[in-house]
Amino acid sequence: MSQREWSTRLHLPTAGATALIVAVWSLLSWRYGAYVLPSPLSVVLGFAEIVGSGEVWRHTGASLARILVGFGGAVAAAIVMGLAAFVSRLARGLVHDALAILNATSVFVWIVISIIWFGLSNWAPIFTTFMITLPVVASNLVEGVADVDRRLLEMGDVYRLSGGEKFRAIVIPSTLPYLVAGMKVGFGLALKVSVVAEIFGVTSGIGYIMNYSRETLATQMVFVWALVMILVMMATDTLVFGSISRRLARWK
Amino acid sequence: MKLDVTGVGKDYLIPVLDTVTFRVEAGEFVCVLGPNGCGKTTLLRIIGGLEPATRGAVLLDGTPVVAGDAHDRKVGVVFQEDRLLPWMTLEANVALVLRPLGLASAARRAAARRYLALVGLVGFEAYYPGRVSGGMRQRAAIARALAIEPDVLLMDEPFGALDAQNRRIMQAEVRRIWKETGRTILFVTHAIEEAVALGTTLVMMSARPSRVRELIRNDGRVERGRLVDDLNTMIMEEVLRQQGGATLG
Repeated sequence: MSQREWSTRLHLPTAGATALIVAVWSLLSWRYGAYVLPSPLSVVLGFAEIVGSGEVWRHTGASLARILVGFGGAVAAAIVMGLAAFVSRLARGLVHDALAILNATSVFVWIVISIIWFGLSNWAPIFTTFMITLPVVASNLVEGVADVDRRLLEMGDVYRLSGGEKFRAIVIPSTLPYLVAGMKVGFGLALKVSVVAEIFGVTSGIGYIMNYSRETLATQMVFVWALVMILVMMATDTLVFGSISRRLARWK
Repeated sequence: MKLDVTGVGKDYLIPVLDTVTFRVEAGEFVCVLGPNGCGKTTLLRIIGGLEPATRGAVLLDGTPVVAGDAHDRKVGVVFQEDRLLPWMTLEANVALVLRPLGLASAARRAAARRYLALVGLVGFEAYYPGRVSGGMRQRAAIARALAIEPDVLLMDEPFGALDAQNRRIMQAEVRRIWKETGRTILFVTHAIEEAVALGTTLVMMSARPSRVRELIRNDGRVERGRLVDDLNTMIMEEVLRQQGGATLG
């Protein structure tokens, strides 16, 4: 591998910019004090502390568990909607309108409603995550279903493939990339939304602990948990969705 | 297998096919010729049962073709595009259409390999369609159509997307396959040289709304160059007629 490729792999410009930001950050932190802007060192130490104590797993695990239920439910519901849109023209119109309304609804609406309906429990962030990610995943899937190449389906008719055979050989492979793309965007959104919902009423999760850190004036821990969120997001992006996308694209 | 096209007509917003009647004996290689937009593809789709006719009927060995219903005679279709599934290997693409015939998985794969070999794709069985040339994809589509051992093979300008050289190679291949398998082939084209090089029977269509203008036996009694010239004259007349918008009386 040439030197040039190594430098792009290591993202040298990004590393340089990071060094600059850390330097400016240190200066500003020194100027304004640790409450407003904790120093880079205190954030690193805080991160080491929660990793050492295992606290990082407790709150990340709690957040991920809620996301798994809410987002998983949204994916399941989206698949049902996609199927309905595929088999029935009437359902297609209904799904289309329902998604337009859901897409236009603010996160805050669902947070408030979920607290009214489910009280201060796990179900509030789960429900909020479900309602916010459903339209994202379902819109993608419905679009994928509409984009199935009719000429390939006609080919299936010529060779008398059964409905099930056409579904497995043509419909599923052509909509899968849309589903994965929707899930990728949806998961990112789920992580961002569920932590907001966790501010209210639960006693675990990244959102809860960030808010708690703010209340106890431990600003460096707010930064630490933000860092944890970013790492979780990047890890799932490359490990989960990256490998799925590569598998799907192996014929390209 | 015998093919009877009796008084077939098709109206969209305008009438496209007026009344088309001709008969194809078993084992013939029929080329359907005509100006662009005269309904050649529509005719092929009606014969293949992909579209209903407005009038008339198509009979395969005496049994009418009903659009959307499975016929007891097997029909293979090669479209203008290859219509291969891009996420399946060439072998899997061919093997897929053998499923409804009730073959076991191993038998399907064996048949797929045999027909891919017939069209000269030995060694490319495990390739995805996106990794081979357009000519090879069209060959795979032909292998797929042949693999079901169709009673009639319908081909709709299958080489339209190929360059001149690949086109000539594919024409020779199809001619060879036809001789080896003895299938009845109906081949739609607007290229006169292609039709004369391939067909045993040439069906010359008129301008829209079209009928059969002339049915020519290409048995070598008329010299080829002469035939090409005659057909060129006919097609020019029909193109002009179609553009002039005049209908046949």
